[in-house]
Amino acid sequence: MWRRLARRALWVPLALFLATLVFPAGAALAADKLVVWWNKGYYPEEDAAMQKIVKEFEAQHKVEVDLSFTAQEDLLKKITAALIARRVPDVAFCFFNDWQVVPKFGWDDKLADTSDVIAKLKPRYNAKMLEVAYVMNNKTKKRAYYGVPIEAQTMHIHYWRDLLKEAGLEDDPAKIPMKWDDYWSYWKKAQDALRRKDPAKYGKLYGIGMTESTRASDTLYNFEMALLSFNGELLDKDGKVVASQPKNREAIIKTLTWFGDLFTSGYVPPDATNWTDGDNNAGFHSRSIVMTPNPSQSIPAAQFFNKDDPQRDNYFNKMATIEWPNGPDGKKPRYLSAVKTIIIPKDSKSQKLAKDFILFVLEPPRFLEYIKAANGRWFPAFKDLYADPFWRTGHRGPRGEKDNHVPVATTIFLERDNKVFEHYKHPAISQVYDENIWGKAMARIAVEKWPADKAADEAIERMKAIFAQYK
Amino acid sequence: MARLTRAGVLPAPARAGRSVFRSRTLQGFLFTAPLLGIFAAFVIYPILLGLYYASDPDSYRAIFSDPVFRATLANTLWYVVVAVNVKLFLALLLSGMLDYPYPWIRLLSALFLIPWAVPALPGILSFRWMLNSQWGIFNHLLTKFGLASVPWLAQPDTALGAIMVFHIWKYLPFWTIIFVAGRRAIPGELYEAAAIDGAGVVKNFLYVTFPLLRNLYLICTLLSMVFTLGDFTVPWLMTGGAPGDSTHVLATLAYRYTFHMGRLEWGLATFTVALPVTLLFIFLLMRWVKI
Repeated sequence: MWRRLARRALWVPLALFLATLVFPAGAALAADKLVVWWNKGYYPEEDAAMQKIVKEFEAQHKVEVDLSFTAQEDLLKKITAALIARRVPDVAFCFFNDWQVVPKFGWDDKLADTSDVIAKLKPRYNAKMLEVAYVMNNKTKKRAYYGVPIEAQTMHIHYWRDLLKEAGLEDDPAKIPMKWDDYWSYWKKAQDALRRKDPAKYGKLYGIGMTESTRASDTLYNFEMALLSFNGELLDKDGKVVASQPKNREAIIKTLTWFGDLFTSGYVPPDATNWTDGDNNAGFHSRSIVMTPNPSQSIPAAQFFNKDDPQRDNYFNKMATIEWPNGPDGKKPRYLSAVKTIIIPKDSKSQKLAKDFILFVLEPPRFLEYIKAANGRWFPAFKDLYADPFWRTGHRGPRGEKDNHVPVATTIFLERDNKVFEHYKHPAISQVYDENIWGKAMARIAVEKWPADKAADEAIERMKAIFAQYK
Repeated sequence: MARLTRAGVLPAPARAGRSVFRSRTLQGFLFTAPLLGIFAAFVIYPILLGLYYASDPDSYRAIFSDPVFRATLANTLWYVVVAVNVKLFLALLLSGMLDYPYPWIRLLSALFLIPWAVPALPGILSFRWMLNSQWGIFNHLLTKFGLASVPWLAQPDTALGAIMVFHIWKYLPFWTIIFVAGRRAIPGELYEAAAIDGAGVVKNFLYVTFPLLRNLYLICTLLSMVFTLGDFTVPWLMTGGAPGDSTHVLATLAYRYTFHMGRLEWGLATFTVALPVTLLFIFLLMRWVKI
């Protein structure tokens, strides 16, 4: 009898094993709470502000929120995998959502329509920033809002004032020449002067930290900013490719020629074709480059929290932020903004609660506290929030110094010709950015010594081929 | 109590009239069922699902029209052929040195294993820093001797070369130890006989050592090719495909397609392109070792 019982007992672990395969426990539990995947902040204060918001939401709505923070690179992969596998969070906010998730997965009908949330928030929005989430759904054949834009970043130039002083050049931001050629020559002069002055100390210093790599999204900003300066366009208002039109092709060739010449001139670090997004920041902080274009305020914000500089001398006195120069034709620069966007996956079982959560997060005092914790790195997408005096005055230094950084960004956002990136017009542009075809074209010229027109034509053909895949 | 046979083993249970659930085959199957279940869930199912996702001809049209993919095929071929063969040839030579019966050789062997034992990440990051064109040690030394700096990781040839050099540095010790073990299995009498016939070091190697290590060498080459064909860590951490996506191998490109571009089907198609080669290597390997 005991042997028979023992033999029958063999079935028990097998049955249990099969049961775990058929009825995964995680799926049952997941429906009882709101799962929120949030981009890890650059500063602990940002995460703390979000945790505080979540606690308030839990208390008010009597619901558990499973909040997790993930670094942006990993979070993008996590969201992508989740959307493909259809095992999704209820809310996801990643700094790459705007151009790598919303256009593609909106097209594929994998995101929830958030038009009702947008309708509630519409009076508060800076209308220019709103269109970033208004994308095409290939299943419904209609455009709708497939995300909630919340904060933006745009292009700035940062430089070391003390290095310019040491080079014997004017360091006051108001006195930096803003004409195209004079502007770029200025940093070259600084490199030459510093290397002459102290070869041992500055022998490996470079004037211009221009990212020209396929590994960095900064390359996209640099290329498209320069393309606007050369009056080129890639898409028309309906999202059709116009890059091959003679005027635009010529502008692309001029832009690529300019990047190629800059790289080979000896004023850009040779590794710039291999940089990731953090490498120009690292080069700037280590003072091995005099200036760098950067599409966010991450560099000054990092110096603001620099523990080795308690008086914030670097932030208030030794560095400054200025604008992109006027174009070669003398016109004021046109800017591009990337507007960071929250999504709700279509497969979320708690879409109503997810929308309530987003509205709760974006209530003015709450969201202002969160976004200010980023120290001006992001600019709010809401008029009532950027009416706060912080965006015009920034921080005040310990000796009463003025902020040379945050107010510059505010001027760029509110007083300059500023448009959002065009990935909302067509999902294919999202892939054009993913493939970083302009970074590839830069490398063709800088590394493989291709003529600029050949590199431009290859990139334009690739762009057309990518668009042809979306039917 | 069950009766034992003359050979001392239990007789096979009588089949007639007994439930199929009591057969020993079925019981054996049940004991292995959890493992088979795990194997089916985590090996068979993902492979079949991957092949299903990769079965769309549009994916192949898309990846073959991508100039990065075509360059990647060439890079992968270079990486597998050059890195594996250089590494194994060096390992074969070095194994001769580490086979000498001196006490200091043991110490050297232990030190020699360090690159293989250290985790890949810090090793690759250190190597990247050494190759940095502005402040890396290599360029520092070059300029000290009045030579021009080289942008090691910013030009395709040297960047791909750096990936291969690191791969060889990292995995050379492992294969060397395998060959040392192979050498030690060769009977000493063969060398004594060769010495009587007047064979020197070179003839010993050519007529005794290499013929007896040949099978091991070929098996190691095939194994290493299979490992290297799927190597993601070294190329990704060393260059990430830069400059200008010119140093991708199939594993890194598939990752880029899948996770950077959200194109799972392209990523799987990329792996599937390499599958016939991998299967060929595995088939040859199984024939060789008679599995």
